[in-house]
Amino acid sequence: MLDTLSQLLLGVRWTVLGQGDLRFAPPTGVAIAAVFAVVAVAATVITYQRAPRRLTTRDRIVLAALRTALIGLLLVCLLRPMLVLRAAVPHQNVVAVLLDDSRSMRIADLNGQPRSTYVQAQFGAADAGLRQGLAERFSVRTLRFSNAVGAAPTGGDLTFDGTNTRLAAALDQARRQLAGVPLAGLVVVSDGADTTGDAVEPALLALKAAGVPVFAIGVGRDTAEKDIQVGRVTAPRVVLAGTTLLLDAVVTAHGYAGQALTMDVLDGSTLAGSQPFTVGADGQPTTVRVRFTAGEAGPRVFTFRVTPQAGELLPENNSRDVLIDVRDRREKILYFEGEPRFEMKFLRRALTDDKQLQLVVLQRTADNKYLRLEVDDPEELVGGFPKTRDELFKYRGIVLGSIEAAAFTGDQLAMLAEFVDKRGGGLMMLGGARSFSEGGYAGTALGETLPVTLVRMTPPAEPVAVPLVVRPTRAGTGHAVSQIAATEQASAARWPELPPLTTVNSVEAVKPGATTLLSAGDGRAERPVLAFQRFGRGRSAAFTPQDSWLWQMHASISVEDQTHETFTRQLLRWLVDGVPDPVEATTAADRVDPGESIAISAEVADTSFVAANDATVTATVTGPDGVTSTAPLTWNGQRDGVYTGTAPSGAAGWYEVRVEAMRGGTLLGQSTTHVRAGPGEAEFAEATRQMAALRRLADETGGKAYTPETADALLEDVKYTGRGITAVEERELWNAPIVLLLLVGLLSAEWGYRRAVGLS
Amino acid sequence: MRSASPRRAVAAGLLVAAVACVAAAQGPFRGESSRRDAAGINDESVHVDYDGRFAFVRLRYEMPGANGRFRGFRREPPWAHDYPRSDRHLMKILAEITLLKPHLDDSAILTLDDPDLHNYPVAYMSEPGFWTLTDAEAEGLRSYLTKGGFLIFDDFRQEHWYNFEQQMRRVLPRQPLVQLGADHPIFHAFFEIDPARFVSPYGGLTPSFYGVFEDGDPTKRLQVIANYNNDLGEYWEFSDTGWVPVDLSNEAYKFGVNYIVYGMTH
Repeated sequence: MLDTLSQLLLGVRWTVLGQGDLRFAPPTGVAIAAVFAVVAVAATVITYQRAPRRLTTRDRIVLAALRTALIGLLLVCLLRPMLVLRAAVPHQNVVAVLLDDSRSMRIADLNGQPRSTYVQAQFGAADAGLRQGLAERFSVRTLRFSNAVGAAPTGGDLTFDGTNTRLAAALDQARRQLAGVPLAGLVVVSDGADTTGDAVEPALLALKAAGVPVFAIGVGRDTAEKDIQVGRVTAPRVVLAGTTLLLDAVVTAHGYAGQALTMDVLDGSTLAGSQPFTVGADGQPTTVRVRFTAGEAGPRVFTFRVTPQAGELLPENNSRDVLIDVRDRREKILYFEGEPRFEMKFLRRALTDDKQLQLVVLQRTADNKYLRLEVDDPEELVGGFPKTRDELFKYRGIVLGSIEAAAFTGDQLAMLAEFVDKRGGGLMMLGGARSFSEGGYAGTALGETLPVTLVRMTPPAEPVAVPLVVRPTRAGTGHAVSQIAATEQASAARWPELPPLTTVNSVEAVKPGATTLLSAGDGRAERPVLAFQRFGRGRSAAFTPQDSWLWQMHASISVEDQTHETFTRQLLRWLVDGVPDPVEATTAADRVDPGESIAISAEVADTSFVAANDATVTATVTGPDGVTSTAPLTWNGQRDGVYTGTAPSGAAGWYEVRVEAMRGGTLLGQSTTHVRAGPGEAEFAEATRQMAALRRLADETGGKAYTPETADALLEDVKYTGRGITAVEERELWNAPIVLLLLVGLLSAEWGYRRAVGLS
Repeated sequence: MRSASPRRAVAAGLLVAAVACVAAAQGPFRGESSRRDAAGINDESVHVDYDGRFAFVRLRYEMPGANGRFRGFRREPPWAHDYPRSDRHLMKILAEITLLKPHLDDSAILTLDDPDLHNYPVAYMSEPGFWTLTDAEAEGLRSYLTKGGFLIFDDFRQEHWYNFEQQMRRVLPRQPLVQLGADHPIFHAFFEIDPARFVSPYGGLTPSFYGVFEDGDPTKRLQVIANYNNDLGEYWEFSDTGWVPVDLSNEAYKFGVNYIVYGMTH
């Protein structure tokens, strides 16, 4: 709009105007003209002062001003205003054209034609539209980019089958390749943003520093009339086999508002879960929570899918893959109980069939007398509660029953706090006559880690049991721990049916930042029942009832009922979910393109979970063909204990990445993760034109963004970037249409005003 | 599992005796037990309401047509034999020896079909030789044991076995009664006990211990223990009177403590 207006009035487009400087080139004798102008202005003022008395002061001022403006305009024209531009010298400069060669360019949303047809028509050959126009003034270097960046001297080099749009990498590579040549600008022809998740900022900063403007042509449509897209899925990278997952998938749709659809989760080709949902308003994200169980161990790809509907533009973006490493291992949890009570019996009983959890019990039955259950060897816990960090940090979770703070030494309490804070373990305290405030934990290191507020108090001689009618809170309703029935609806219906429990603890408030998942009360005075908070690397939780076993034994609970078992398993699995090992390997992405490097990262610590920067860390990568390669990982120097490196991938398939850390000949630990080489679906995830991202590229670098309809202006804009080898080009402005318009306008205004006041 | 050392066992035994004497001296039953009749079992003032703490639960059953023929010397029905002194004494011992804080002076007397029974996962029945069951009671006990309850049968001998076995078959038809060896964890749950050395209060009879296991699998949880040809309650009741040797009372208490600790942990 501005460009058009500017072109009409000044004969120069607004964008070009912004590239130039305004200067005056007055001819000889302009000083005399200026004197005459001053005299004329003075005469005008005097004349209007002496005008007939019927003129008001305002009339005199307006008429004098109009005449003065007219004289001034003529004087400005006499000064010869001109726009000075630095135009690229013909055939001395280079323009790089980056063409998007990814699969999304095949989407047919340009009047029924694929986006690629525009690219082929304008840049596919030396004599193609815009390319030819650019070639008339510049040396044009054409590059294509998708998974990688390559030259594309002809349209035949474009295949439009890349599975990624590596825009950031393409910009960076183009800048590096053309660092030594006079580069007038980069022209990017694409439908959107970088689909690899790489940050584009570093590439942008480098371009900005080099003064290279980016001209972006956005191809495609900004919205799809009819489309359903499964977007982001929030999922853990690692879970225990048999874990019930409750994951959120974001669905964005156009043209299907209010329609009832179903989100399916497929484990390979097997349906693992399903959740009906109603589509939100056009363009509004709808979060669908799907529940399913991660059954078989190993690297599993779970596909979140909405069945393609009739008339959809892009059936390809109706599904999203998530890689989850399902681990078949036993997580060791230490349960320290301070007195004989049924809570331990039933908690242990609930885990009988859970092969992934090992509940090691240390129960104090009398003073200095302990019962040990589920220990691995006769020596384990033989001296009572662990006294060293090495011994304690072997466990991934700790449950403290009715055990008072005085049962621990000061160092043991500090160790328990470090277990959460530094080791990253999960710790939960259960309600009981000797726990929480009643157990004297207020003011202790462990008390600081707990998510509930503790007070210093003298415990009552006879504990008073307070009934708890337990309900999930708003945060707890959708939490995996509170899912005690087959579906979310069934679970919500089941909670009110459960018998009340009791507590003997005066826990009435949670700390700021803690989350309450279960509570009890009448709506006015709620007491936390299950609350947790992140503390350092780990998680601490408080479960205040003393008798959750009533959910198993109570007369209203049938023999077949699995509520207590389900709740207990989910609670303890959640407690140890994400607890790190001394060595933890991860890959930057759960998928790479075949042949692409696998970026590997590992966090390394010793058995006391002190970060180790002096370890020898090696990654062994085994491909789908059984071929093994090794890659050293080096400390990255930025974060303690973090080692990084890369390993090559080859054929499509699964790659097992096993990281081993040694120090002084001692194995610190090893960790295995998986990555998949193959095509991803990211190309179609945001398949509409991402104009905002392209506009940002242009704005940040001093270029301009275009649509196919406005792209012709590119030829002129790139000429006046001022980059490369340029020559000064002057454009006279005195003869611009706006001067004539102003002259006629001022004369007409003065004449009209004079008529209105009766002077003519 | 960690075992108690012999020195600790001896010390604990002495403590048992001492505590039993103290408890008896302070208790409300001194000198009046022989005069107490069946009316005492209906005393609501000693009935415990559930508050999360451990309480001794004695099971009551009906004896239709018995006409009092099986009543004890205090005129109480067989299920109430040794009540309440044995129950109270055992709770006092538990409170002294272990860190358990049970109800001391109140307890529960419940039928097998009473919903409140499910609030107390360890229960005790005396004289199962006279035990009769309604269908509702059989169902109630089956549910109780399957969900995690633990039941102690005590005070029966010789031909009483047949009635006891018959009633248990009604409750858990697929789970046989199995004689327990000395190595079973219940005999090591707190004290180290050699059950073969125990002397029955029934003169001339050798006590033996039977159990019913979850799913009928001896490697799994013990749901029921039966003191056959034995009467631990008798020892518990009279431990403060001097009528029975202290050693035998101590041993009987060890069984009681082990049973309850096992029932609370397995």
